Parts: sequence; structure tokens; C-alpha cells
Amino acid sequence: MSEFVQLDSVTKVYQGGITGALNGVSLTIEEGEFAVIMGPSGSGKSTLLNLVAGLDRPSSGTVTVGKTQIDKLSEAGLARFRRDHVGLVFQFFYLLPNLTALENILLPAQLKGRNATSRAHEVMGRLGIMEVAERYPNRLSGGQQQRVAIARALINEPELLLADEPTGALDTQSGVHVMELFAQLHRDGQTIVFVTHDPRLAQRYATRLITVTDGKIVDDVTVAKEVA
Amino acid sequence: MKAVFYKAIKDLRRRRVQAAVVFVTALLAVGTGTMALTLIAQTRDPYKTAFDAQKGSHLQVVFDGQVADPSAIASTPAMVGASASGGPYRSTPLQFRLNGHKYSMTTIGRDAPGGAVQQLRITAGHWPANDGEIALTRSFADVNHISLGDKVKVISVSQEPLLTVTAEVADVDEGSADVSNQNSWVLSSAISGLASAGSSSYLMNYRFAKDPSNTELQADITTIRAALPAGSITSSTNYIAIRTVFNITNQITTGLLLAFSVVALLATVAIVASLVTGIVISAYREIGIMKALGFTPLQVDLVFVLQILIPVAAGSLIGVAIGTAGAQPLVASSWQALQLAYQPAYSVGIDAVVLFGALLVVTVAAFVPAFRAGRLRAAEVIARASAPRGKSGRWLRRLGAQLRLPRALVLGSGDAFARPTRAIMTAMTIFIAAATVTLALGVPRSFSTIISASTSGLNADVVVHRTAAISDADATNAINSAGRPARVVGELDQSVAVPGIGDPVLARLFRGNPAQLGFLLYSGRWYSAPGEVVAPRALMQDAHLRLGDHFTVTVAGKPLSLVLVGDALDATGGGHSLLMDLATVQAIEPDAAPDTYLIALQSGSSIDAYISRVAAAQPDLLDVSKASVGTITITQTVSNVLLALAALMIVIAIAGIFNTLLLNSRERVRDTATLKAIGMSPRQVMLMVAASAAPLAIIAGALAVPAGIGLDRALFVILGTAAGGNDIPAAVYEVLPLWELLAVPAAAVIVAVAAALIPGRWAARTNVVTALHAE
Repeated sequence: MSEFVQLDSVTKVYQGGITGALNGVSLTIEEGEFAVIMGPSGSGKSTLLNLVAGLDRPSSGTVTVGKTQIDKLSEAGLARFRRDHVGLVFQFFYLLPNLTALENILLPAQLKGRNATSRAHEVMGRLGIMEVAERYPNRLSGGQQQRVAIARALINEPELLLADEPTGALDTQSGVHVMELFAQLHRDGQTIVFVTHDPRLAQRYATRLITVTDGKIVDDVTVAKEVA
Repeated sequence: MKAVFYKAIKDLRRRRVQAAVVFVTALLAVGTGTMALTLIAQTRDPYKTAFDAQKGSHLQVVFDGQVADPSAIASTPAMVGASASGGPYRSTPLQFRLNGHKYSMTTIGRDAPGGAVQQLRITAGHWPANDGEIALTRSFADVNHISLGDKVKVISVSQEPLLTVTAEVADVDEGSADVSNQNSWVLSSAISGLASAGSSSYLMNYRFAKDPSNTELQADITTIRAALPAGSITSSTNYIAIRTVFNITNQITTGLLLAFSVVALLATVAIVASLVTGIVISAYREIGIMKALGFTPLQVDLVFVLQILIPVAAGSLIGVAIGTAGAQPLVASSWQALQLAYQPAYSVGIDAVVLFGALLVVTVAAFVPAFRAGRLRAAEVIARASAPRGKSGRWLRRLGAQLRLPRALVLGSGDAFARPTRAIMTAMTIFIAAATVTLALGVPRSFSTIISASTSGLNADVVVHRTAAISDADATNAINSAGRPARVVGELDQSVAVPGIGDPVLARLFRGNPAQLGFLLYSGRWYSAPGEVVAPRALMQDAHLRLGDHFTVTVAGKPLSLVLVGDALDATGGGHSLLMDLATVQAIEPDAAPDTYLIALQSGSSIDAYISRVAAAQPDLLDVSKASVGTITITQTVSNVLLALAALMIVIAIAGIFNTLLLNSRERVRDTATLKAIGMSPRQVMLMVAASAAPLAIIAGALAVPAGIGLDRALFVILGTAAGGNDIPAAVYEVLPLWELLAVPAAAVIVAVAAALIPGRWAARTNVVTALHAE
């Protein structure tokens, strides 16, 4: 395995005293890892994820993903980076309400000018949402919406899948189904960085557990997993 | 209530851009409305004021000096019950030259400017004191830059005497110099020396105790005609026609301003309603919190209404001031056209009505959507945080996807109709602006078409007038020798009496075929033989004539049988004219010959060189000019007002588009953030926002072009009706070339996309983390 994500002395300061700042964080994530970032509310775990996704810029320090130092990229460069290398899954799904499930899934590929219909069908088949392809988000359950969001994140075959509390808005059963999907993706070789405040999920699925408190990494352990 | 004011002011500060949009639209709407009402109130009276002050003539009749006896003419006021009269004054056509320019007018022998009727108010200089002096109208002197003391050389008589301009006068019985032939005055002892053989006439002015109707005046003409030898009356005019000439500019201008101020107010209402709806939609959670804190439904309503009313009130106050000031130049020109002193005119009552009327309308427009806010359930809106999003426009997205357009374009075009009501309101503002632009482009050309078709013909290049001192044969020889004209159509205008029409009718007698010069025919055909005649619709209506009718007119006291074969546009004489072959009249007047020549040159010929050659051949006896349509005050004023209104409507449309896109962008901030998170670049975000404006502009622009042409037609139908019932042929309002018709919607799209740039830029700068965490 090689280093894929590298944060070097990253500090993030928010004006106005907003919580979630980072204070000199250095971190390396290897290719193929299922890294779970844990911590209480306002600890800085989402900020860490946003910096890796290129959604936010550090106040100081460097963030490198693959071979790209993304904190130096322009807004357009960051957009291209996210489109080409990263898949994002959010707690509240953030599907576009006026697009069908299939249209939502195709969106990142279409922004690249790529026709990915067959890839979309493949991913949807894999995630078990083929039958909801033509439905609008308001006609989907929470679990279905999150699976559509995961399919959207995977459509461009990203090297890195980032998820911020993806089960936070789901009932227990749907949450389990979604986590099983992430586990399967990891088994297929996907690098995943996953934010949660639920220690049970973290223990069960992570290969690496990173704990953030008050903007600092206070614990970082590799978890041994049984080979299925 | 303090809490309501405090919250409204705080919200207003937060929504400065939208407040600015409402401020600007309110200012424009109220400004236009104030201007229109001020004009209506302040410009109605100048003509009446001047007419009463100068004891204007209700009726002026010109008699043929060869036929009518002055003593018989002097007895006519008593026949028609006139309370006062002036004349008979001997008059004659006069041509003079000054500084290389030739001028034509009628000069009247009159020993004093005062009297019981048609008092001439001297605005500069003194009344002629000897036979070598002349008085001109101030209007004529202004238009032609002639000053007191200038010496003019009379060229219509062989002696070519010099006359010194000693007076400029205001005459309420004639139109301004840019639209009417003008009178001048010399002492009665001087007139004999200025009249060429056979050109002498007498002018008689009549004034009645109360303002007579047009029908009564027609009856008076008939009475006078019956009492005098046949052919005595050469022409006549009355105060109603002159009043129309003075008032028509204001009537059209105020009509346009009123119509557009109503439209601008409606646009403001649409923007306000759309804005308040948008604010309510984006403030769901806030509404819940306000209600949870104890705001009553009415107080919640007031918070939203007040934050709109404050900028509207500010815009309206300034609009009232600007509108009142903006009306002053038009009020001034209205008074100055009659050489009356201008005094600043305004009405506090009108200003108050406009101000409070606008505030009331806008309050209602804001209150309707705000009312909804006050009735929302606190728990529900706090939980939901934002209103359900519009889902219309899917069909357009599907269409865009099928056309394989870039995804940002497809998403944006679908967003255009996500909120149908807002989309319709926005499209309406674009539609109104594009229709106004189409109208503003078309009207000046429609005016030109009418004027040129009524005078020199659309295809004439040069117009030559000959004086009585040169024969038709010599003039024709000079015209043909100077080059090889493609066509020469000779014209002689002569008065004829038509049954059913009191005033003398202008017979336009042509040698050659005027149809080739582009005169516009509605129906029937051009005359092709002596005895056949073409008439404008106004004359047909008033004389109860239809195509194919045979009727008899009187020319110089002799009957002439005619048959009506065609119906053409001709506004000369208020549409009371007859177009026929010169040969028709030559049957009873063998010496009748053209005095005007409408000339079309071979293609590629130099018009200026041709004019120089003809003028050089007969410098004193021929007046040669380019057949261009001069700018006249009415057309220029209306065109300028329309251009200003078009600019105003474009500003309102931009404000409308800007407002809509801003609301859309703010409502969709989470969607935009999501799109950015999954890889949409800032440029693609801007393209998406711009694309959401384009479909509205395309549809509104495409609909606006035929609407603008329809408005152009409607305007000229109204004008045609005012000018005596003339109908308007399609050639008058179908004046825009295809590329301009296509350019209007294209420009609408460009303007809409330009208006989308700032909201697009803001959307592109959406901070993903902030936007998504705000949920």
C-alpha cells in the first residue's frame, strides 16, 4: 500500500469562533484503507474531511491527495479534482430534488462531458436500486436516497470515497444496509475516509480508527479485521 | 410594534440588493406616472389660453381673387352669424431667398397686428411700417434661423424686391413651421407689388360667440359657398384642425407615458410579489422562530411588508420629484409652441395621488404573499427549514438532455421554470421591454413611411418646385437636361369642392404615374385614364364614397365627373384629398400644368450632383431639394419618448431578471453547493444560472416582436383616426427588416444573460461547507 492522502501540519481557523477548527494536524492515509474519523460534535472531524475533499482550504499546512497538493488549486482546479478523484457522501444525501435517481447519479459524469449510462446501471445494480432509477428523491426512502447518493459518488470511479455521517439521518436498519455497502466497496479495493460519531460503527467496519478532539488527533489505531 | 420595525429594518439591511431593485423599479414607475399626469394636467390649456387671448379665428377661408369680389366677401360674416371678423385681407404666394436658401409661404396684406379676430402678438421687432418690410412668424424665424433685420429677396415676381424682416409674431391660427405652411405679413399697400399675375387671393377670418362644432363650421362653409360665385372658395381651415396639430404631440406623449407608467407599476408589483414570496420561502425557519417568540400572524406579515415598503417609499418620493421635473421640458415646449411664457407647472395633488396610489398598490402586492407567512405553523416550518422546491421545468431539462446540451445548460434551462409564477412574471417584464424596443424601432420609420408616402413618394430622390416665372416646358427641359432621370412625375395641387365635404378638398393632379414613386395603395387600383380618381379613406368616409362610385366635383366653378377606382394612403389635408391624372382637369382647364416635379434618378446617379446641375440651370426660378423626410417635432418627440420608455423598460426587465435569479440562486444554494461538491466548476455554475434566464428571454422576446409590431399598428390606427379616419396599410407598420426582428429576441437573451452575471457569480462563489452545514 502507498500513501494516498497526506495532511502536513494542517491548521484551520474559523473567524467568529465557529467550532470545528484544526490545530496542526498531520495525517497519512494509505491506499485501500477504510479510515474512520471519530470525535464529539465540534471536534473538527468534518473539517478534516472537507479539507481532504477540497471543499475547504487550510489556514496553514498542506493537503496532498494522490500526487496533487490540493490546497494550491484554484476553485476550478478543485472542482475538477473532486469530479475526477473524489466521491462524496453526505449525511442528508443532498440529491437534487428535481432530477430522478438516475439523473442524479449521472450528474458527475455529465459534468465531465462523459456518457456513463452503462456504468450507472452497473453501479445501481450493485447497490440494489435499479428499480428506483426513474423516481424522484421525494419518492424514495432515506436508505434508498443514501444508496443513490453513494451511486452518484461512485459514478466517476473515484480513487477516494469520502463520507460524512452517511448513516446519521437513517433508521437503524437502513444504516446497517448502507454500512454493509461501504464494507463491500472497501473489500473491492476502494479507499474510504468515513466520519462518524458512532463508536459501534467505527469498531465494526474501520481498518483504521482516528479520533479527533478539539482540533487534534488524539488517537490513531489500526484495527485488525478477519478476512471474510 | 417596535419589535416589528426593528426586525424589518434589520432584514432590510440584510437584503440590500433586493431593496435596491425594488427602489429602482418603484422610482421608474412612479416617475413615469407623475410625468404623464403632470403633462395631462398642465398641457391641456395652452392652446385655449392663447386662442382666447389672441381672439383666434374659428374659421379662416381663402377666396379666389379672380372670382370673388372683396365687398361680397366682406358680407359673409353676417351670413354665418360670426360675432367678429377680420379681412378680407389680400394675400399671395411668396417665394424669397436668403443666404442661399429659398422659402415659400403665403404673404398677407395687413396694416395692423391687432383687431377683433386673429390678433398677432409681436414677440420681437415692430409691425411693418413701409412697403419694404415684412413680418414673419416666430416659429418660421426660429426653424430657419432668420433674424430681425435680415433682408430677403423675393423671387416669385420678376422685380425681385428686397424686404426687411421687422417683426416676429405669434399667430394662433396656424400650426408651427415644422408642420405647416406659414403666413407672413406686409402692409396692404405692398401686396400688389408682390403678387404675380393671377395669384391673388383674399383671406377672411371669422370668430363666433361660442366655439362651434366641426359640423357647424362645415355648414357655414356651405352657406358662404352658396352665396358667392362658383369657385370662389379656394381653401379653408378651422380652429379644430389647428388645435389638433398643437395638441397631438401631447396627446400621444401623455398616452404613451400613461400606458407605460401603468405597465411599469405592474412590473413593480410583479417584482415585489415575487420578491416577498421568495423572502418568505427562504425564511421558513426564521418565520417559525418569530412565531415561537410570540410574533402574531399580523406582525409577521408586517415584517415582510415593511421591509419592502421602505425602499418603495424612498423610490416613489424620488420618482415623484424626477417625474415632475422631467415633465417640465414637455410642458415648456407646449407653451413655447404658442409663443407663450413658460412657467414651471406642478400639482401637489397629483404628486400625492401618484405617491400614495403606488404605495397602496405595492402594499397589497407585498401583503398577499406575506399573509401566507403569518399563517404558517411554527413547529412545521422550524422542522422543515425551507419551503418545498419547485419542480416544474422537467420537460425542458429532458429536451435539453435529448439534444445532448452541456449538463450545466440543461440544469439551468430547467430551473427557468422551476417556479412557474415567478417565471411568468419575469418573462412578462422581458416581454414588455422587448415589445417596447420593437415599437421604438418601428415608430420613427413608420412616421417616415407615412410622411414620404404622403408627400414626395417613397421612391423619389429629388423634388423641384417651379415659380410662376418659368413655364412647365422650360422647367421640364431643365430637369431632363441636368441628367437622365428614371422617372419624372409632375404635380399640381388644386382645390376642388366635393359633395358632402364642406372644406375645399386638395386635388393632387399628376402627370406621369405616381404609383411608380411608391405611393401606398390599400385597395382598388391606380387610375389609368382621365376621369378616374384615387382617394384616401378619410375622404371616402366623410363623402360617403365607395370604390366604383361616380361623383361630380367642382373645379374653379366647373363640374367635373369622376369615378373612384382606388383607395390610397395620403395624409395631406387631413386625408381630404383626391389623386388623379392632370389630364382629368386639363379637360376643363387646358392651361393647368405641374408646379412640382417628383424625380427618381437612375440607380448609381449622384443626387447632390443632379441637384446642383438643375439649380445651376435656373438658380432663381426653380427650387431644387433632396426628397428627404425632414424631422418634425411630433415624430421626434414621440420617437424620443418611446426611446426613453424602451430604456426604462429594459432597466425594469434587468431588475426583474436579476431579482428572479437572485431568489432562485438563494433558494437553490444547497443544490448549488451539492453540485460544486460533486465537481461542478465555477464557470459551469455561472453558465447554469445564465441558462436559467435564457429560455424566458427567448420565449418573451419571440412573443414581443409581433406584439411590438401590433402596438406600432395600433398607434398609427389611433393617429390615422385622429387625422380624419385614414386607415393604415401594412407597409407603414411592417417596417423592420428581418434581421432586426431577429435581433430583438437575440438582444433580449443577451441582456438576460448579462443580468444573470452577478447572481451567477454569487452562486459560483457559494461556499460549499457553509451552505451544506447551514441545513
